[in-house]
Amino acid sequence: MPPAIKIEELTKDYAIGFWRKRPYRALDRLSLAIEPGEVFGFLGPNGAGKTTTLKLLMQLIFPTSGRAEILGQPVGHVATRQRIGYLPENPYFYDYLTAEELLEYFAQLFGYGAADRKQRVAALLDKVGIGAERRLQLRKFSKGMVQRVGIAQALVNDPEVIFLDEPMSGLDPLGRREVRNLILQLRDQGRTVFFSSHILADAEALCSRVAVVAGGRLAASGRLSDILAFEVRGWELVVAGVTPAMLARLTPVAHRTTEISAGRYALELSLDHPPERVLADVAAMGADLVSLNPIRDTLEDFFVRRVAEAGSARPGQEDARARD
Amino acid sequence: MRAISWIAVSVFRESVRDRVPYNLVLFAVLLIASSFLLGQLTAGQDVKIIKDLGLAATAVFGLFIAIFIGIGLVSKEVERRSIYALLAKPISRPQLILGKYAGLVLTLAVNVAVMTVALYAVLAYMTWTESAQFQSAWDAPGIDPALFKAVFLIFVELMLITALALFFSTFSTPLLSAALTFGLYIVGHFNADLRNFEQVVDSRAAAWLARGLYHVLPDLSAFDVKTEVVHGLAVPAGYVAMTTAYGLIYIALLLLISTVIFSRRDFK
Amino acid sequence: MVAGAVLCLAAAVSLQVARDRIYAVREQAAERILYVRSGEAARRLTLDFDALAADVYWIRAIQHYGGDRRAGSGDRRYELLFPLLDLTTTLDPYFTIAYRFGAIFLSEAYPGGPGRPDQAERLLRKGIAAQPGKWQYYYDIGFVYYWHVRDYKAAASWFQRAADQPNAPNWLRPLTASMLTTGNDRAAARFLWEQMLQSDQEWLRRNAERRLLQIDALELIDQLEAFVKRYPPPPGEQLTWEWLMRRSPLRQIPTDPTGTPLDLDPVTGHVTVSRESPLQPMPDLDRRSTR
Repeated sequence: MPPAIKIEELTKDYAIGFWRKRPYRALDRLSLAIEPGEVFGFLGPNGAGKTTTLKLLMQLIFPTSGRAEILGQPVGHVATRQRIGYLPENPYFYDYLTAEELLEYFAQLFGYGAADRKQRVAALLDKVGIGAERRLQLRKFSKGMVQRVGIAQALVNDPEVIFLDEPMSGLDPLGRREVRNLILQLRDQGRTVFFSSHILADAEALCSRVAVVAGGRLAASGRLSDILAFEVRGWELVVAGVTPAMLARLTPVAHRTTEISAGRYALELSLDHPPERVLADVAAMGADLVSLNPIRDTLEDFFVRRVAEAGSARPGQEDARARD
Repeated sequence: MRAISWIAVSVFRESVRDRVPYNLVLFAVLLIASSFLLGQLTAGQDVKIIKDLGLAATAVFGLFIAIFIGIGLVSKEVERRSIYALLAKPISRPQLILGKYAGLVLTLAVNVAVMTVALYAVLAYMTWTESAQFQSAWDAPGIDPALFKAVFLIFVELMLITALALFFSTFSTPLLSAALTFGLYIVGHFNADLRNFEQVVDSRAAAWLARGLYHVLPDLSAFDVKTEVVHGLAVPAGYVAMTTAYGLIYIALLLLISTVIFSRRDFK
Repeated sequence: MVAGAVLCLAAAVSLQVARDRIYAVREQAAERILYVRSGEAARRLTLDFDALAADVYWIRAIQHYGGDRRAGSGDRRYELLFPLLDLTTTLDPYFTIAYRFGAIFLSEAYPGGPGRPDQAERLLRKGIAAQPGKWQYYYDIGFVYYWHVRDYKAAASWFQRAADQPNAPNWLRPLTASMLTTGNDRAAARFLWEQMLQSDQEWLRRNAERRLLQIDALELIDQLEAFVKRYPPPPGEQLTWEWLMRRSPLRQIPTDPTGTPLDLDPVTGHVTVSRESPLQPMPDLDRRSTR
């Protein structure tokens, strides 16, 4: 099956400076393929090129070189836009319209009939949790509510591929959870979701695959489980009912022991002490096993490491850091 | 085509919510108040003056609407970035530009229509209250259908100015667009002087330049038949037709260039 | 807060009123400055709103004329009237009424106007240049020559040209003829002013009415002088109205058509319109009356 989104050597240079225009490479030869039905996380620090990539995919800006396709058609193919949805970063809509009117307007542009529109708009607003405020002008909305409207307008046409630029921005924890559930729902419906974020916890919870960009370049990409599997550092064993005598026997095995409460300890085991052996010892001692978990780098550790590697050398630039 | 009309309706709705109609109220009040005040001042010329005032006010109010909404059409959208979500919808960039333009023309048409009705209403009142003998001395009848020719040409001129405003706003900031459009409005009315430049100036190069500019820049003074209409002088239908055609072609040119610029632009 | 704003406004207004009262003179002098003297400059400045600008100048012209007339003091000589009318007509060359107003009031001798028939002719020639077929303009020039300049041959030639224009009224040709023969004739004058009574413009009508009253007064004077001649007073007695009322069928002091008593010169027996009469200054017309 052809990829839902295909990006090949996509590059974007900006000319900056007033007199002598120097090229600033916002994106350098990005290549990615996103399969249909995936939830794909596009991660990176601020200024890494995430929004640039999304704008190139939406043809808000034009590439310096390279190409991209969505659903088998080159980017910019107007009819394809009937099947995709887009939420821009920090969206701003026409503030003299109400939420209903905005969605109705966009539904008109998709070509839906009047009755169909009404129904869709009502359902969407319910789905994103906007109640009676839907009759208020958008200028009266808080940032979080605008964000919800933004998500709604990205879904007006039941899109097959949805592009979200920082979808959690401006939302409170409750809102974030709702959006997460929404994205999972979309996945369950077989849709493709491509979202950019700098909040890694969201990616961890949602994505099947991620890519990390930094300094305009792709630093890493792959299945989340593959990325993180490389990085299992050790094990965390939590035991209870440990007497000081037992503790004395266990501590040498762990390279860190933390007391949680009376008789309950967390032991960090390094990789060269296979946990099965320790477990056997614990059982033999008569202590209680509470939990055994692998300690892996979080995505954050992975992220920071990769970004540090990739970050300093943006092609053609001496002082990328200074600009950030 | 349908997309264009939805966009046009949206622009019209924006102008209404932007309180543009309040201009009309102001216009009507101005006209009515003037008609009462003028009676004493003008030694019987009040109908002429009301016609002059009504037509001039229509042109001026229309100009301000054309410029200020015209530059908002694209500049404001790009500045505020509401254009991002719009461009992700299944409409091409040319459709967007044309839709915006159509919406503004619609707004102008409604505004000009209301102002014209107000003008005719005031003239009707003045005609009705004036004796027949007095009326026979007027250059043109009070409720003169020929006024409509002047209004029509004013409307075509306004469409041209809107196209200018739209053109500038595809590539420059709102403030600069407004200034440039207004500047061209003024220059366009000095066109006659450009044409006569060669009689006044010695340098051939300067005369050629002036001639060139005369042809390239929009010839806005051609749309002004207010004086003729008010004095009951003939305005041939052929003149109206040719001037309108000139206007429409110039508008097509501007829209074409605007579309090209807009289609190639990066929206950073 | 609101009270503060209202207070400020009240203070500003009272300051303005006080200033106007103290420095009233300054305002009058400023009025007489015409910022734009040249018609062509004005034309450029107004873009395509010429006709409206012309209206503004027209209103200023009328107010200037009215203001100077009411003021009545010696130094107001209507010197802005021509420039204002000139500007008006440069901005709107079809502004008929401005030309005709200028024709009448520019030629009027002081205190009714600046007494400049040459300016009137200049203005009217401008009108003719803009609309060569308008008989009214030729007629008006003829009238200026007839009434103010007293050049009857020139007047006749202008009336002739007026008669040659399309839509000219029929009475112009006989008028030309009579101008050449009788010249300073009261009948001709009466006829011309009666034509003007038909005008659509009220101020023209009022002017014509006044002129006709003057002519009526002259007729009345002729009759009275003939009457007075029949009653020469004996030596030792003064020829006055009172004496005549005692010695003749005269029953009351004769008045001119405005109701002002007429003057009787006891020495010459001439009857004249009193200096206080609104009809002054009286025109100088021959006493021949061929009614």
